[in-house]
Amino acid sequence: MDAQQIGKGKFVVPIGPQHPALKEPGHFEFTVDGEIVTGASVRLGYVHRGIEKGAENRNYTQAMYLMERVCGICSHVHATAFALGTEKLAGITAPPRAQAIRSLVGELERIHSHLLWLGVAAHEGGFDTLFMYSWRDREVVMDLLEGLTGNRVNYSVNVIGGVKVDVDDAQRDAILKGVDFLEERTHHYIKIITTDETLLGRTVGVGVMTKEQAIELGAIGPTGRASGLERDVRVDAPYAGYKDFPVRLVTDEAGDLQARFVVRMKELLESYRLIREILDHLPTGDLTVRAPRRIPAGETVSRVEAPRGELFYYIKSNGTDMPERVKIRTPSLCNWASVINLAPGYKLADMPMILSGIDPCFSCNDRLIKVNDRSVSQVWTWEDLRQHGIEYYR
Amino acid sequence: MSIGAMIGDILRSLFKKPATQRYPYERYPTPDRLRGKLFYDPTKCTGCQLCIKDCPSDAIELIVLDKVNKRFVMRYNIDRCTYCAQCVQNCRFDCLSMSNEQYEMAALQRQPFEVFYGRDEDVQFLLERATREDPEAQPCQPPA
Ligand code: SF4
Ligand code: SF4
Repeated sequence: MDAQQIGKGKFVVPIGPQHPALKEPGHFEFTVDGEIVTGASVRLGYVHRGIEKGAENRNYTQAMYLMERVCGICSHVHATAFALGTEKLAGITAPPRAQAIRSLVGELERIHSHLLWLGVAAHEGGFDTLFMYSWRDREVVMDLLEGLTGNRVNYSVNVIGGVKVDVDDAQRDAILKGVDFLEERTHHYIKIITTDETLLGRTVGVGVMTKEQAIELGAIGPTGRASGLERDVRVDAPYAGYKDFPVRLVTDEAGDLQARFVVRMKELLESYRLIREILDHLPTGDLTVRAPRRIPAGETVSRVEAPRGELFYYIKSNGTDMPERVKIRTPSLCNWASVINLAPGYKLADMPMILSGIDPCFSCNDRLIKVNDRSVSQVWTWEDLRQHGIEYYR
Repeated sequence: MSIGAMIGDILRSLFKKPATQRYPYERYPTPDRLRGKLFYDPTKCTGCQLCIKDCPSDAIELIVLDKVNKRFVMRYNIDRCTYCAQCVQNCRFDCLSMSNEQYEMAALQRQPFEVFYGRDEDVQFLLERATREDPEAQPCQPPA
């Protein structure tokens, strides 16, 4: 698509849906006056997969594995949120050791996610050296996760009522060693992002969001915390192991892109501290409690802090072994408003940086797709949707 | 403020081995817990089917030849398996395990993705019965 002229000197520049700065689909339109962006809009829904519908046709355990596939980066928090919600409905609590292991894996996952983001954001800013080195170091935590859980992406740590992997002494030593190395590297990266002139030129004073704006736009996670918003589910409503291992909140007042870099890197340091704490005081005992197959009727809300911010699950049970309704709201969805509202006033070249500044994840926030046909209204079953999908792409 | 804050990293790396590996010529040793191909040991199986109930992707099926004498054959569809290990977790008799060595399962045909586990004579019996009933049957279609 070409830029479209809408007035003297004003153009609309479409970006996406293919590869809009990141390797996921989303469509953005920026109105530009010369170099300067004057308006922005976003269109989502290109990777709607019908996951919520799919959960209604599976039992709770099967649905948990489906939820784990909502996001390929923060797979563990999704399964944790779903397992915690289901356990709440069933009236059971996973044993303390299981809860601590959930938090341990959650923190390892946060480390890999933030390091991944550091690379992506550096790449968008044209700083490919930082991208390559941060991703090289990220392999350390990927190997730790693979060694601990058996897979690099979908860790499958949770079961309803506990976890299925334990931490033995060898694992513990490996994790501590890896964390020491990563901590040293993170200090190095903090130095780079706060002193390297080329990166500072692209981040300081770009995409500034004040605390008031952050509240108004509903920003969450590190994006909100970089504007001084003191919000973190691990602190506000501790779940899993965070009750026994409290988290220290990391915030920054600056509110620009630089602050988003700093907050995420400091969160890494906090994660390292937390991992050491958990490993030093890992509760002993069982890994699981017995969970019923049929979950008593009721509804619940489960909130966890994903690497990108608050992840929200609503689960409704009708007393059978399959959920009646699962609603997911992923953190990326909350942060779009900040991108759209912050963009005006900055250069078009800053857009990929502002966009990647919220650490967006497209496929995980596509919950809805609107079909423009007002004349008919129909309810589709999972099987109908599946057939439609097969026919559509035939 | 500085320019080229990563110059040091680059210079140091010049004298180090590459961080990448020449896969498949070089292989990274897999961790013990790696969840690869699923294996089934029929000797202890009671036929309780708990493993199948929670499989998120319908990848396994237990074909009961003779319940009393515990003759079971497990059909495993590798291409459906998500390697979640829920079946291993569910089995109380340790019949199921996952290999940490067999994880490269890509193939050009569908046939290698269907595996029958069980005592040799049971698997033989099952496959023969399937061909008898439908001589035209493709190997990847479910036996009757
Ligand atoms: S590993 Fe998971 S997907 Fe594969 S057969 Fe077992 S339960 Fe099914
Ligand atoms: S759970 Fe174990 S014992 Fe039961 S059918 Fe499956 S493999 Fe056999």
